[in-house]
Amino acid sequence: MSTARRIVKPKIKAPKKHGPNISIDDTWSKLSVNIAEILNHRAEHLSFEENHRYAYNMVLWKAGETLYKGTCKLLAENLDKLAEQDIKSVFPSGSIDDPIQRSQEGETLLKAVRKVWDDHTTALSRLRDVLRYMDRVYTKQAGVPEIWDAGLLIFLEHIIRPPFQDHIIAAILTQIQTERDGYVINRSAVKGCVDVLLTLKERDSSVTIYKRDLEPAILQESELFYKTEGEKLLEISAAPEYLQRVESRFDSEESRTHHYLSSQTSAPLRRILENYLLSPHLYAILHKLHSGLDFMIDGDKLEDLLRLYRLFVMVPEGLPSLKKALRESVIRRGKDINAAGVTIENMTQAADDEGGKNKGKGKGRPPTSAVQTLQLALKWVQDVLDLKDRFDSIWAKSFKSDRDVEATLNEAFETFINLNGRSPEFISLFIDDHLKKGMKGKSENEVDAVLDKTITVFRFISDKDIFETHYKKHLAKRLLQGRSISDDAERGMLAKLKVECGTQFTQRMEGMFHDMRISADTMKAYHKHLAQTTAPDVELSVIIQTSTFWPTSGSQTTCAFPELLAKATKSFEQFYLSRHTGRRLTWQKWLGNADVRATFKSGKTHELNVSTLAMVILLLFEDLDDSDFLTYEDIKSATSISDVELQRQLQSLACAKFKILKKHPPGREVSMNDSFSFNADFSAPLFKIKIGTIASKVENADERKETKNRVDEERRYQMEACIVRIMKDRKHMPHNDLVNEVTRQLTSRFLPNPLDIKKRIEGLIEREYLERWTICHPLYSTFHSCQLIFCKVISRRAKNRNLYISYH
Amino acid sequence: MEEPQGEKSSQPQDDWVRFISSDGYSFLVKRKVALASPTLRGMLDVSSNFAEAAMNTCRLEERGIVVEKLLEYLAYKSTFESAPKKEDIPDFMERIAPEIALELLMAADYYDS
Repeated sequence: MSTARRIVKPKIKAPKKHGPNISIDDTWSKLSVNIAEILNHRAEHLSFEENHRYAYNMVLWKAGETLYKGTCKLLAENLDKLAEQDIKSVFPSGSIDDPIQRSQEGETLLKAVRKVWDDHTTALSRLRDVLRYMDRVYTKQAGVPEIWDAGLLIFLEHIIRPPFQDHIIAAILTQIQTERDGYVINRSAVKGCVDVLLTLKERDSSVTIYKRDLEPAILQESELFYKTEGEKLLEISAAPEYLQRVESRFDSEESRTHHYLSSQTSAPLRRILENYLLSPHLYAILHKLHSGLDFMIDGDKLEDLLRLYRLFVMVPEGLPSLKKALRESVIRRGKDINAAGVTIENMTQAADDEGGKNKGKGKGRPPTSAVQTLQLALKWVQDVLDLKDRFDSIWAKSFKSDRDVEATLNEAFETFINLNGRSPEFISLFIDDHLKKGMKGKSENEVDAVLDKTITVFRFISDKDIFETHYKKHLAKRLLQGRSISDDAERGMLAKLKVECGTQFTQRMEGMFHDMRISADTMKAYHKHLAQTTAPDVELSVIIQTSTFWPTSGSQTTCAFPELLAKATKSFEQFYLSRHTGRRLTWQKWLGNADVRATFKSGKTHELNVSTLAMVILLLFEDLDDSDFLTYEDIKSATSISDVELQRQLQSLACAKFKILKKHPPGREVSMNDSFSFNADFSAPLFKIKIGTIASKVENADERKETKNRVDEERRYQMEACIVRIMKDRKHMPHNDLVNEVTRQLTSRFLPNPLDIKKRIEGLIEREYLERWTICHPLYSTFHSCQLIFCKVISRRAKNRNLYISYH
Repeated sequence: MEEPQGEKSSQPQDDWVRFISSDGYSFLVKRKVALASPTLRGMLDVSSNFAEAAMNTCRLEERGIVVEKLLEYLAYKSTFESAPKKEDIPDFMERIAPEIALELLMAADYYDS
């Protein structure tokens, strides 16, 4: 320290004395006059130093209390005076109906309040400076609020009280209401007053007056307003307009709280909007006649739907009810599509039943209805695809690709698609239609795109095995008749199915492709072989099918081959069996087709492409004169083709577009008593003529039944295989668990019925593959709580060796 | 540093403030320096607009020597207030003459600095 260095300490002079010579009362009387001056905003001629020193002295000489209380009293008096002259004079009369005038009155009042506030706080801030010493020393000791806070409390006490307060709040509410009604108000006036209320607090409490008094009033008013507003709007406006208005309400309330209320009100106000404009009206909005959800979807009103979604996600019940309505909408549309199918079908069937004589112009019995039903099937799939497209686009554009909504839509599609029992067949037909050669003139890419979409629909099918059956049948037909658009397209489709359902699903179809390839190789070898030996008169092309891969379908019929053909087939048979031992060849005569060259009276030669059976029939006429007849019975005994098939073949030869045979008597239907002759007068512009092989068509009732039986049988095997597979792995299992596990494993192919599974289990027990164990669980004493356990007893390798596997 | 002493007549500028001591000395200091004292800040607050603020001149009830030290301290304070901690800050105590220490102490209380 510097003092330490000094040897001679200078004398410290006593400070100048303040004080007792100054009278406290005197000081206060001078100061109070000055304070009054400050309150009247006449400070410029006052000396700050002087007044500060007055206050300083008073605090120093223990007169702080006099100073503090005196100042507060002066403040209060001043406020009362201001209130009297500025605010009271502009109290609204309250009896005016004109909203604009009323709002103007409110505005004046709010402005007056703000003015008083401004007055008060400016003076208060000056006082705070002057009385700084008091704040620092006295208020702390005495435990009273500093002069600024005290000033605010005084304001609260003298202005924010009845009747002023009621008028202020009423005025603010009027302003809000006026703005809600669409008029323009002076926002800054409201904000000025709201800010005052936001600043003021009761002593020792953290809740502002705004929060305490104004906000509840606003909320209550808003509740009332929006309750009626919601009902009124809903009544007079259509759903899209309603949503539009609601949204604009949301926006305007948001900007209101942002601009002149407090942001803390924003959340509760929003909740009021949600509770009164949205939640109670969700159903009404969605189902409004001529403007609800369905209408918007029909009209592709993406904007409106987007708005709907935006608003609905705000409230908790919004999304579920939207999902429900969407579901209903999709299912209803789906049912319409289904129903359209059924009615047309019924119509054609009815027409069919009436008798094909007056209907159908070509191939006789099924064609008319078959073609129509085929169209119907294609239309059904196309409709479903269109519907899916439409909802997908709405989903992407309006529902912000919401996953929940997507799940709902998918579920709805699944529901109605599976409601139509024939959907697997229809979809397969649709694919068939697109993979067939020379259709529609679509490019490969277009076809690919369509098929991709079809896959999405395929995904919804629960009975995938039925689809498989149909698809195999259609694929077989395409392959055998060489009508595939291209190998690549077929394989592409197969790959898509594989991705969806796994290798097991497509194994057999791939087998079919494999067979086709092997057949081609075999035929090459056969031709080489023929070159070395003597060839038969008929050129033969054979496709060898592995019996498990190919569907053995259709009207299996026998047919006696004439000598010519028999020789040819024999030749191939010998060749094939010499290459492969231990194989059995069965000729599927009804699947083939043949090119027959025929010369007619006109001298023209035509190449007729007919089915193998038709060729056999035509060969009967080879040696006959043009005028000779063969009766139905003759043909039947010569070919031994079954009635149904024979009639169909004859019909396509004699009654269709190209009449190679003449029927006597003429007519559209073939009966047992008819007789036939070769139509030598036949002429046609084209050299090559294809005689209608009946196109792939929708199945009729009988075929459907057959397919169903086949599918059921297939399912039985699958269920049994599955049960055995599981039991081999697990050894023993409670009954219910087993059923569940089987269901789980098979759902990718079809939806197994638990009852069926039970039946299969019983069957396996009967055949001693499984054994039933009834075991009392140690924890349960009563008898009925026993569990059923199944044990895999016999595995294929360990036949007759009974393995008992115990439980625990 | 801040003492153009005596009656050097300079126009009261915005950024200079005049202080006059009870014994008639006049000091011109930067406004920024004066505002380091809350009391002086209130005195010079333009928005409150007291006579001192209007005139830009404050009469202080202290002797010149005390006012000088007070202003010196305020200058010292405003210089080093925002200085980083590590910087070497000279000790102000050394500059206080013991003769005026008590008076200065009271002034310090009054001017809240």
